[in-house]
Amino acid sequence: MSEPQSPRPFTQSGGTLAMIRVALVNLGLSMVTLSLWRFWGRTRVRRLLWGGVSAWGDPVEYTGTGKELFMGFLMVLVVIYLPLALGFGWAQTLTAAGDPRGPLVISLLYFVTILLVAAGLYRARRYQMSRTRWRGIRGGQTGSALGYAARSLLVWLLLPLSLGWAWPWGEMMLARYRFNHTTFGDHPLSCDAHAGGLYGRFALVWLSGLGFLLIAGFAVWVAADAASIGQMDETVATGLVVVILLMVSVIVLALPWAWYRAGFYRRLAGGLSFQGARFAADFRTARLIRLVVGNMLISLFSLGILRPWAALRTFRYACSAIQVEGVPDFDAIHQNTETGPKAGEGLISVLDGAGEF
Amino acid sequence: MTELRADRPGRFSDGRSAGVRKVVVRVLATGMEIRGIDGFLIAVWKTEDLRADGDWPEMKGVRLRCASEPDARLAVEDAYFIKDALPKVDEPRRRRIGLILGALLGAGVLAGLVLSLPMASRLAASLVPAGMERDWGRNIAAGFESQLRVCEGKAGRQALEGLIARLAEGLPADRRSITLHVIDRPDVNALALPGGDVILFAGLIAKADSPDEIAGVLGHELTHIGRRHVSAAMIRGMGVGVIATLITGDASGLVASGIGAALAGAYSRDDEAEADRGGMDLLERAGIGSDGMITFFRRLEDMEGKPGMLTQWLGTHPEAGARAAAIAALRRPAPHLPSMDESQWRSVKAICSKSPP
Repeated sequence: MSEPQSPRPFTQSGGTLAMIRVALVNLGLSMVTLSLWRFWGRTRVRRLLWGGVSAWGDPVEYTGTGKELFMGFLMVLVVIYLPLALGFGWAQTLTAAGDPRGPLVISLLYFVTILLVAAGLYRARRYQMSRTRWRGIRGGQTGSALGYAARSLLVWLLLPLSLGWAWPWGEMMLARYRFNHTTFGDHPLSCDAHAGGLYGRFALVWLSGLGFLLIAGFAVWVAADAASIGQMDETVATGLVVVILLMVSVIVLALPWAWYRAGFYRRLAGGLSFQGARFAADFRTARLIRLVVGNMLISLFSLGILRPWAALRTFRYACSAIQVEGVPDFDAIHQNTETGPKAGEGLISVLDGAGEF
Repeated sequence: MTELRADRPGRFSDGRSAGVRKVVVRVLATGMEIRGIDGFLIAVWKTEDLRADGDWPEMKGVRLRCASEPDARLAVEDAYFIKDALPKVDEPRRRRIGLILGALLGAGVLAGLVLSLPMASRLAASLVPAGMERDWGRNIAAGFESQLRVCEGKAGRQALEGLIARLAEGLPADRRSITLHVIDRPDVNALALPGGDVILFAGLIAKADSPDEIAGVLGHELTHIGRRHVSAAMIRGMGVGVIATLITGDASGLVASGIGAALAGAYSRDDEAEADRGGMDLLERAGIGSDGMITFFRRLEDMEGKPGMLTQWLGTHPEAGARAAAIAALRRPAPHLPSMDESQWRSVKAICSKSPP
């Protein structure tokens, strides 16, 4: 047997200060370039995020370029956005003219847009994976973006029909699709995670959601009653209800949800394996809450400018929590002949401008 | 120099598989040899092909790449001195300056687009087939007529149509066929639809004190039609959307529509001023004179001051006072021909009454 390996092969050693500096420089350059710098800025942030990670002692690299992101954006602007805008404009004049086809076309276009957003998310992942290297070997994302969009649509349709109970199943099904089609070199990851054991946690989320609705209804009723008999000013009553509900929601909604998320990520990681090595992760509810609340505060108080720092915290936490039992047979993994898309992420950067970083 | 020639331990990935092996690196005058620990020669990298790839902090070493084997990765222990032997690359700095210049250029191009948008959209509007424009306008007019009461006073319509035909003499030959729609609404407003449909609201007829005032409004709206302002405004709106999306990267609407509304307002003021001047030309050609137009604008200006009045004309035709002054400065010779006779004017005033006189 070879020497015993650390069960936690990933570390992210990137410095917070370096990241904050990049974020601030990006802000300045974005301002003087009417925000056109953002493609190159995002690339610099990713270089730091990826480059700070090392796995089994070797660093991960991000090889995407700002130019690729910019070209992808321009392409989608012309090929997708303009036709959609024309279509919406036409449908609006139809509606204005009282033509019944107008609303029909509009809802159809909304439907297409939603599908495109889901497909765009998948394509963005394909771009990012193909620009990720470790020991010189490329990652990749196979599978079909439209197939993924269709699956997402199925989940969204089932959600209201099942009163929300389709969520753990749907979320896990989509994650499984993403990871089963993620490759490193010429080998895919495999993911057999299932939502089966998650329903206990989800039931608590669901019931606490229901409970919150009841509490909210009761609070509104009491306040309305108090205001109507003149015990309380109406604006004071409204403010009081909002404050109380916000405080209650932290306990009744956020805690069960964090507990569910921790369980979800743990199961997802536990279902992953690659070339004879099994993944695991000890995501903990309290740590997750700290991470998410911290990231929210960072984004909020910096008006989104320091989101790269929040992303760095997420990377750090994920790297510290992921364990791998056994070492994949890396000698048997060869370079991926697929070099990935030439331009990057246009779809999602046009249709959902608020990208993560 | 002896130190340079000493053997250094290192790690090497050949870029064909994801494996890593221990190697010994020997630095030569022309480059470096990479050998296995068994002494077997693996690769020779020439000095001019070497690329720095960051530090290897744990082993106080450096990471290297080779231009002729871009997928291979080498890390050498205790070898900071190799950095001095690497070809000096000031590329990143030059590229960064290039990027910043490029982005500034892009910003300049964006600004140019914003400035040239009105001209470009007029050019594009002149390319829209007349039949298509006409159909579109008819559709919108049909929408108005299906949802609101149409005024059908026969004599009044004939008087107005006669006036329109007189004014339209001054339009290009293919734009002279105008269809009038009178709608029974209290709004003090008139609309030019693309193609050749004009909508007059009863409120405007009620507010007018003389047929010359109506002639002024019609001259203004006919100029919009003659110069295809509505189609140009539609195309411009789309262009504004594209530019706003370029700048903000957000097609989801909020920012884009805000910028769009601001720009559209600025652009439409130009259109209105042009329609005022063109309207005066039409009035003069028809021998009517512009006094009616000026008095009507003055009346609108007075209405601006009074709260609670329904003056939609001001929403779509802003700054009545400033515009009245602008046309007054261009005032033409006194009218020599009446726009219609007394009985015609009475029938116009009664155009919306249920039982025509």
